[in-house]
Amino acid sequence: MKLVLSTSNIMGGGPSVIRRAAFEKSNTELTTALRGNIVESQQGVSIENTDGTDNRTHESPPPFEAWTSLEDSNLFIPAVDFTHSGLAEDRPQYDITVKLFYLPDVPTEQRGAHTREAIDLVLKELHVPSIDLLIVSFPGVAFDADDEEEDEASDDVASGRSSSENGEIDDIDVMLETWRALEKLHKEGIIARLGLSEFGTQRLMKFLPKTSIRPSVDQINVRDCCVVPKPLILYAKQEEIELLTHNDCTNILPRGTLRELLGPGHSGAGILADHEREKGLHGEVEPQWVVKYTAVVKNRGVVENKGYFAVAKLV
Amino acid sequence: MGLLATGTPLEWPEAKKVADHVRDWGIEQLLAIWRRAKGKERDALLWGDEIEYLVVCYDDEEGRVRLSLRQADILKALAEDEKLLSQGGGVPDLQRGHTNTGDTAPTFHPEFGRFMLEATPGKPWGIGFKDLLDVEPNMKRRRDIAKEHMAPSESPITLTTFPRLGSPDQPITPYYPPSGPKLRSQFVPDEIANPHIRFPTLAANIRARRGRKVQVNVPVFKDEKTPWPWWDPSVKYDLHNWPEDDDVRNGAVKENQIHMDAMAFGMGSCCLQITFQAKNIEEGRKMYDQLSPLGPVLLALTAATPIYKGFLADTDVRWNQISRAVDDRTPEELGEKPLRDNRWHIPKSRYASNSTYIAQDPRLRQEYLDPELIIDPALKQRLLDGGMDDLLATHFAHLFIRDPIVVFAEDLKELDLDAADHFENLQSTNWQHMRFKPPPPGSDTGWRVEFRPMEIQLTDFENAAFAIFIVLVTRAILSFDLNFYIPIRRVTENMETAHARDAVNREKFWFRKNPFPEKHTKGAEEAGSRGPSRPASPKGPVEAEHALLSIDEIVNGQTAPANGATSSRATQAISKAPDDLFPGLIPLVESYLDSVNVDVETRCELAQYLSLISKRASGELWTAAKWLRGFVRGHEEYKADSVVSEKMTYDLVKAVERVAREEGRDGFGKEMFGR
Repeated sequence: MKLVLSTSNIMGGGPSVIRRAAFEKSNTELTTALRGNIVESQQGVSIENTDGTDNRTHESPPPFEAWTSLEDSNLFIPAVDFTHSGLAEDRPQYDITVKLFYLPDVPTEQRGAHTREAIDLVLKELHVPSIDLLIVSFPGVAFDADDEEEDEASDDVASGRSSSENGEIDDIDVMLETWRALEKLHKEGIIARLGLSEFGTQRLMKFLPKTSIRPSVDQINVRDCCVVPKPLILYAKQEEIELLTHNDCTNILPRGTLRELLGPGHSGAGILADHEREKGLHGEVEPQWVVKYTAVVKNRGVVENKGYFAVAKLV
Repeated sequence: MGLLATGTPLEWPEAKKVADHVRDWGIEQLLAIWRRAKGKERDALLWGDEIEYLVVCYDDEEGRVRLSLRQADILKALAEDEKLLSQGGGVPDLQRGHTNTGDTAPTFHPEFGRFMLEATPGKPWGIGFKDLLDVEPNMKRRRDIAKEHMAPSESPITLTTFPRLGSPDQPITPYYPPSGPKLRSQFVPDEIANPHIRFPTLAANIRARRGRKVQVNVPVFKDEKTPWPWWDPSVKYDLHNWPEDDDVRNGAVKENQIHMDAMAFGMGSCCLQITFQAKNIEEGRKMYDQLSPLGPVLLALTAATPIYKGFLADTDVRWNQISRAVDDRTPEELGEKPLRDNRWHIPKSRYASNSTYIAQDPRLRQEYLDPELIIDPALKQRLLDGGMDDLLATHFAHLFIRDPIVVFAEDLKELDLDAADHFENLQSTNWQHMRFKPPPPGSDTGWRVEFRPMEIQLTDFENAAFAIFIVLVTRAILSFDLNFYIPIRRVTENMETAHARDAVNREKFWFRKNPFPEKHTKGAEEAGSRGPSRPASPKGPVEAEHALLSIDEIVNGQTAPANGATSSRATQAISKAPDDLFPGLIPLVESYLDSVNVDVETRCELAQYLSLISKRASGELWTAAKWLRGFVRGHEEYKADSVVSEKMTYDLVKAVERVAREEGRDGFGKEMFGR
């Protein structure tokens, strides 16, 4: 079974979008928003059941079947109503950016299919035929300003020295493989521009010549934005690649976090069971990918819609 | 400053007779504008900043500095030069060091003070992030251009007030004696005001309506050797040029207060004002309301006015002095005499903090409004009859309780519904800390909101920082659907609080604890396409919604740990009561920036601006007021008696110019910049 988690529009949704302090992990936004959407859906069901009398605080949460939906072995958590458009104005008013996080421990050959799935969900959610920019994040690729200073001939940029957290490293060829799928979506007119994240100069130099649709964006973590090395700035300018900032962490949805979110207990959604005898779904969750979408009204700089989908396999 | 229409201005007794006439026509013009523009939609965010300068003139041999009254000459030089600019030549190398080709040249405007100059960008800014990068260089360019059109001994400086304006040594050039027929001030001459007929008439008619001179009294700063009780030693009690010379013999001077007596002491102050264009009238009304509670906070944060008329004041900001300098209320309206000829007792000056909220927003609770708001019921009824909704009609019927001050005889012959002159007559002489501006007739401009409380900063770095900060705050407000509502009377209270010396670090301000929309529930959702946020009707006592917060908490957030606090403590705080801890304006802006595509260069620049504001709020960096006060108290000539001498003023103005040039990079003024 596939689990499709979603946040719905998190703008105006309260504290989940707010970075409270610098020390907070930047995936807090995703997990808080997912949890918030689950809780609200559960409450919505409670209200309907109790005819508006508000005693939900003392109740146990409603069964997940009541607020999720199962379609073709996809379990939507919570159920998503795609009938309303996510945007108030016409498509040309918006700049729609999508960032797709490929996760570690997922076979790379599935990324093509995952990309299409993710984009389809976003298009369906926002009621649009295309997006302006797709940025992809490969697991384990972390930008390191210091590495940039090293000898240009150094060959181990792609072999793991600049990565830290997740262990798994793609080499350029694997990433290019994925890129072919993105290029295809571009050629179909679904994505106007393609982007990368956390690429340093050397990785870019290796990557660019082998692409047919070149990336027009490279996203760097905001904490490094004032120390971006000069060579990268110059190279990006020369290659007409925009260097943009982000505040996402690469390991955006660890398995443990997801398990906790869906599991039993106080802060869980009550979907996954811990023991054989418990009610709920049984098995291991394997996060597959996460996609973030943002729709900004171009000439006003107002973020009108922002949200996430996260997909996991239950095996 | 608005358009400088001209004609034959009516003296006060005549102007008073036609006040109803002007108001009636003003309301008709407003209705015509409103009908035409209420459906205006999808305007882009355009915004503009206004930088105001004092023009000073050095006498380096004598070690003196004076205000230059050559505004007209300087503007003439600029105007002629602009002609050259548009002809494509004649001005070599206009912007040394701040090259920005392809720009529209900035524009310069007269201001009330004849020693002032105002400069605005040649075209409005957008929200493109590259635009934001141009703001500071553009401000620097404006300063350079202004300087280049002055005499070598003159300089534009961005100090709110001239430290010794109105002192017995008359620090103005050329010299004019005080006590003229228009201002009747014993401290400054009529020539201190812009000679355009509008300005002296404004000053004279305010005085005439009031029945005496304006009284601008500011508490003096009590230093170690300040005589106490303190009576302003520069006041002359034996003048007999004008009937108003009696004012000081009738108690206009107060104990322990610096005494001033003319419009120039207030309207001669420099401010940093920002105007935004809204998407439509609805968004404009929302921005007006949501920015209103931020006004006092930004006033305290930008504090830059610790000196008046040669004395250290016990306040840090200009606001109330301007308010008193244009206060045209009669003794009856002030409540000093029973009402006979006047209609109302009016609690605030024409220049004051806002008294209305105007958004058609379900989050606006009745309790936030001023229950004793003074309005003109007949004019409100006319607006209602014309189709305007109650809230907006109330707002304008409140502004229209005032009399028009400057009326030109020629304008009363025929009502032109395609013009806005009568409406603007009242609108633009209501100087509140927010202004809601309808589209001007015959232009494509949309509904606009002006944010007016900020003090001008010494450097363009700071002016750009605060201008851009406010722009980003509006984007965060609209994106996150933030709610800053508190009762409007609390905003008024905050405005007073903002005056205290070092209010930015020492005072607390009423502020809404939870700015986020009500939690929505899935069952009751989805009226429109805009997603989840259909706010539920608010509940709970109004008093529980807000609390007294420090500026640090308002700007940096209540959970942001002070130096060295551990993350676990902060995490605990979050898990305890996240809804009751204000997240902070800077974290809100950061979150907004995290949600949009910003290039690294822009983000890095913005980080410097946000860091400045964050550290001003925390007290790590000083406001200009604190630094200027410190400069005086540390001066070798200072005798700890609150007196700011001529030599000290000279050194201070030189210091201010050095700060504007170096921005702390040479270590001078590093308390303000941290670099």
